[in-house]
Amino acid sequence: MKKIVIAVVVAGLLTLPLLAAAQDKYPSKPIEITVPFAAGGSTDVLARLVSKYAPKHFDKPLVIVNKPGGGGITGTEAVVRSKPDGYSLYLGQGSGHDLVTPHFQKMPYDPVNDLIPICRLSVHSIVVIIRADAPYKNLKELVEWGKKKDQVTASVSTKAGSVDIVFQAVGKATGMKIVTVPFRGGAESVTAIVGGQTDCGGNHPSEIISHIKAKRLIPIAVALENRDSAIPDVPTFKELGYNVVAVGSVKGVAAPKGTPPEVIRYLAERFKKVCEDGEFIKAMKDIGQPVMYLGPQESAKYLKEGFEQYGKLIKEFNIKLE
Amino acid sequence: MHLAMGTLKRPGPGFLPFILACLLVALSLALIASQWKKGDGKAPFWPERTWLRPLLGAGAFALYAFLIDLIGFLPTTFIFLVLWMWIIESISWRRIAMVSVGVTGVLYLIFGYFLEVPLPGGIFS
Amino acid sequence: MGEIFNIFQGLLNGFDIALSLTNITFALIGAVLGTMVGILPGLGPAATISLLLPLSFKIGSPVTSIIMMAGIFYGAMYGGSTTSVLVNIPGEAASVVTCIDGYQMALKGRAGPALGMAAIGSFVAGTIGILGLTFVAPPLAEFALKFGPPEYFSLTLLGLVMATLLGGDSIIKGLIMVVLGLLLGSVGLDPISGAIRFTWGLHMLQEGIDFVTLAMGMFGIGEIFYNLEKVLKTELVTRKISHLWPSLKDWADSKWAVVRGSLIGFMIGILPGGGAVISSLVSYAVEKRVAKNPDEFGKGAIQGVAGPESANNAAATASFIPLLTLGIPGNAAIAMIFAALLIQGVTPGPFLITEKPDVFWGVVASMYIGNVMLLILNLPMVGLWVQLLRVPYSILAPVIVLFCCVGVFSVRNSVFDIWVMGIFGVIGYIFRKVGLEPGPLILAFVLGPILERSIRQALLMSAGSPAIFFTRPISGALMAALILFLVFQVYLNRRKQRQRGKG
Repeated sequence: MKKIVIAVVVAGLLTLPLLAAAQDKYPSKPIEITVPFAAGGSTDVLARLVSKYAPKHFDKPLVIVNKPGGGGITGTEAVVRSKPDGYSLYLGQGSGHDLVTPHFQKMPYDPVNDLIPICRLSVHSIVVIIRADAPYKNLKELVEWGKKKDQVTASVSTKAGSVDIVFQAVGKATGMKIVTVPFRGGAESVTAIVGGQTDCGGNHPSEIISHIKAKRLIPIAVALENRDSAIPDVPTFKELGYNVVAVGSVKGVAAPKGTPPEVIRYLAERFKKVCEDGEFIKAMKDIGQPVMYLGPQESAKYLKEGFEQYGKLIKEFNIKLE
Repeated sequence: MHLAMGTLKRPGPGFLPFILACLLVALSLALIASQWKKGDGKAPFWPERTWLRPLLGAGAFALYAFLIDLIGFLPTTFIFLVLWMWIIESISWRRIAMVSVGVTGVLYLIFGYFLEVPLPGGIFS
Repeated sequence: MGEIFNIFQGLLNGFDIALSLTNITFALIGAVLGTMVGILPGLGPAATISLLLPLSFKIGSPVTSIIMMAGIFYGAMYGGSTTSVLVNIPGEAASVVTCIDGYQMALKGRAGPALGMAAIGSFVAGTIGILGLTFVAPPLAEFALKFGPPEYFSLTLLGLVMATLLGGDSIIKGLIMVVLGLLLGSVGLDPISGAIRFTWGLHMLQEGIDFVTLAMGMFGIGEIFYNLEKVLKTELVTRKISHLWPSLKDWADSKWAVVRGSLIGFMIGILPGGGAVISSLVSYAVEKRVAKNPDEFGKGAIQGVAGPESANNAAATASFIPLLTLGIPGNAAIAMIFAALLIQGVTPGPFLITEKPDVFWGVVASMYIGNVMLLILNLPMVGLWVQLLRVPYSILAPVIVLFCCVGVFSVRNSVFDIWVMGIFGVIGYIFRKVGLEPGPLILAFVLGPILERSIRQALLMSAGSPAIFFTRPISGALMAALILFLVFQVYLNRRKQRQRGKG
């Protein structure tokens, strides 16, 4: 009798680590992805596309949750404060509130140390666009035209956002007096430039691709180190002789500080698989968001460089919040 | 809090609120002045003790908002209904019980289950 | 001539698609969901559509998903009026105005005609909107594009001036409410300067005070607090609930209100950023202005229900125009639909009608069908809803409060909003006692921020010169209309004074 009891106890003890391991196997339930912007925006669309193709490559579904507010800070903060168990991720790392805002304001969390970058999914560059029927056809002509005027108006999505900052730099670099007219988000600012309310505008390729196709808008310059594959015919500011380089709005995935390294590894691998999925790549291309995967270390480096680049831009062109 | 006034040609965030505040003061004075002139025998604002029930209602409301985060949706809603029907109105116990359970259930079904709204769980979450 | 032929061909093709079993089913699902969402206070069509976004991939077909989502959107415009009329609670932002006269009608035992007229007006307006979408969408969309900040300013100013006469008898009281509304509207992030106003560090207020929360508090909760003063053991509506259907007189009174409301709603709805809320407000103001019995307004004038309810449906339908013809989403719910289309590989824009005519015409045709479905759904329900008024108020009141609390919570998952609603409830109660009308406050709250934003954007565009409001053709025309209106008003007032002097 005693032997049986001992056998059972030992068997039980032996299975315990197995149970614990089974419990630990990540992921054991759906993973929540927080998008700190409103549903329907470009980051949200990206997240939903990812979640559409995810079931093929992830063991558990990805659930998208929108937590808009504070220009992105509200939702991001929520992820920062959540449990670092890998079930609560932030998609959109590298947006305006991550790379630009900290240069101007104190943040309620540390954007660099409180989040661990998992991967980069895409980059939304900043493109300067003009109406097709404008009296200028490219950047050179715009600058010539612009220098003669009292001011050149540019529609931007948010005051003091990445697009606003870039335009201020452009103004100082080209000698034009650029006055940015802020709207409430990308959709409103695109509507403004399409309607010709301002002389030019700044948006991400995904926001303007259908208008470019319809020949209403012409992209004349992009503020990136190299050309954006979404709009390969558009020269960079650097090529055109102006040293205005930025990383636009990076779209990456991040986890709160303290998330175990195996979890990060798993996620980075799986997101990579999604980014290699032919259908996903095509779908992303169609909406103007090219897939540009980078793993955890490279992504962290890219973000750091991007942050510093904005800092440099702000300092060099002496950009201030009014 | 300091909000820039800006200029007339480029109004800042403080411009409109400042004008509005001035207008409000001016209009309020005008209103008081016009009522003063009328000076009729004012009818009582709250005859007898009619302020009691609205106050209780407001109190019940505040209690609800306060408790819902503490103890969660289900108990708070139930308690709210019971208290309201018992103290503010006087309804038979049987009815209180039926309505409280019924309404709490229906609300949970519609919002919590069907629409998947994450209702607060309070300490039970 | 060829154009019209193409349109009819497209439409026929569209009906073919819309009448498929799947599409009819999803149109019905959308319509029912929309109506329910409209009835439930708090949750609105934009939030519901965003909840259903993941479902749209599973459906697979872009046409079917849009049909369903569109159904939710205009369905909500039908359902929202129900609670507005019955218990003074706006089920949806665009139904706030219906509370003003609709509830008064219910108190007089005329809930049936109010609801009935709302449904019928909604149907007529929806149909007019869809006809507009079918025949004049592209040129109108182009016209709408010309509206920039100066035009928005002039338009909103015109609307606000025409409507300041919303405020009952005392002009001073009306103006105070307008100023309060403007102040409340300036709470939150100022998009022009990036500065955050009046939030006292409360981060839930950063996006401003939510309109639905404010309206539910001031109208719904305020009314309940007010009613608590009397011990009401019985039903709220003690007058006999007379006929369920609008009388012949009601028809006669409302028919022009419906037409005007539809046109106003259509014109404002097509403007990006314009929408159902503004349309209903403007329609109410217009109806009050042109009515032969303006004193009835606020006490149960049926035009005050018919006009705004038609306006909000026409606006909802019209807001599809910039989406489908230009690829520009005009409001949150449409932006959701835009995203759903993108995810399914359909890019809305000027090429939609030529590259994917199935999607365009399928959706348009389905709107005709959905509109009819909603009328059939809502009219018989009127009888049912009116029965709700028979529930003893002592039980009904706390239940209403709860529906509001949970409803307002579900907008942002925040208990903070419940507190805000409660505070506005107390404020609404006090206003009621003091005789301050909420109408002008609501109008100012909605239009004020647009006014302020537009004038600042316009001045940025013109480097500070106010001439821009007059030199741009559309804005100039609107300003001219405003000046003419003011002159006319002064003339009318002088005449009234003279007549009074004579008599």
